[in-house]
Amino acid sequence: MEKEVNITDIFLAFLKAGLILLGGGYIILPILQSEIVDKRKWLTSEELTDYYALSQSLPGLIAINISILVGYKLRGKWGAIAGVLGITFFAFWAIVIFSSVFTQFASNKYVQGAFLGIGIAVVVLIISAVREMWNKAVKGFDSIVLFILAFLIMLNTDISPAVVIISAIPIGILWNLIKQRRMND
Amino acid sequence: MINLYLCLFKEFIQIGLFSFGGGYATLPFLFDITKHYSWYSPQELTQMIAVATITPGPVGINVATYAGMKAGGVLTALFATFSEVLPALIIGILVAKLLKKFSDNFYVQSALWALKPVSCALLSVVAVNLFKQNIIHCANIAFGWSLFSMLLLVSLLRNKDPLWYISISAIAGIMLILLA
Repeated sequence: MEKEVNITDIFLAFLKAGLILLGGGYIILPILQSEIVDKRKWLTSEELTDYYALSQSLPGLIAINISILVGYKLRGKWGAIAGVLGITFFAFWAIVIFSSVFTQFASNKYVQGAFLGIGIAVVVLIISAVREMWNKAVKGFDSIVLFILAFLIMLNTDISPAVVIISAIPIGILWNLIKQRRMND
Repeated sequence: MINLYLCLFKEFIQIGLFSFGGGYATLPFLFDITKHYSWYSPQELTQMIAVATITPGPVGINVATYAGMKAGGVLTALFATFSEVLPALIIGILVAKLLKKFSDNFYVQSALWALKPVSCALLSVVAVNLFKQNIIHCANIAFGWSLFSMLLLVSLLRNKDPLWYISISAIAGIMLILLA
């Protein structure tokens, strides 16, 4: 193993990644590829890809998960914490500053006009995100049934999203066990 | 006071534990919050999503911070963001050593097989709700429908940056006021 990576450097690498990161979590991989693999040579490309795959398998934000995993790999617990602090720094302060300043302009009619339009853009962005998730996740008749069930439950009842998510876990495991058994028979 | 922090903790730790699929996957939870608390309205949530999309950093952190700011101030924002990240920190440290074994595990794969379409469905419901709010109930119906159909068409044809959608629609909204 090469020389130990400095905690401050981990923080700074993720601080930079957090600043570049704009809109949607999927862009984190190329940013880390250039910062962590190409420039600083802390990990190999394969290691980073594995961490990315794992980040998508874990709950929570993908960008946060990968920062924690890479930070942990480099310097253990404190590395993980440095990674999280770095990646969240600008995200946090940008919003704190924006929301403090924004209240003064919120009632301005042009600002309200802008947000009338932006609200429509947000709907289109969410539809795009849904399409992207659909293409990755919904394969085969059984997953379509699952999608429709969850959709109808969320649309028509007041059941919380957490409950719907928790229920999906045993359903997925049981159904895949059944499928596996059928294939083996 | 302590009560507010407990509620924030409960809501945001849930987001950290049960959202799958990145920043926008946290939105069903943030929408659910508007049903139980008066921290922000569904209308404000739309603004928060837009601002989160155009500010640096992970979108999920931006919206969590914004929700926390609405619930109180900088301290509640810090606390909300911390609560959302905490599960990832604990789980990440526990799982980091397993790496491939975890991702390739049959039970993990089977759970994810179900979690992904369900997360997608939850986000679709957010899309339906925000569609009703921002297009069907738009202050100017003609504007709402025409801008929506144009942006949707563009999104189907090309892969444009989210910033593009936000800027174009902001300009369109300002023009509407100027021309009125």
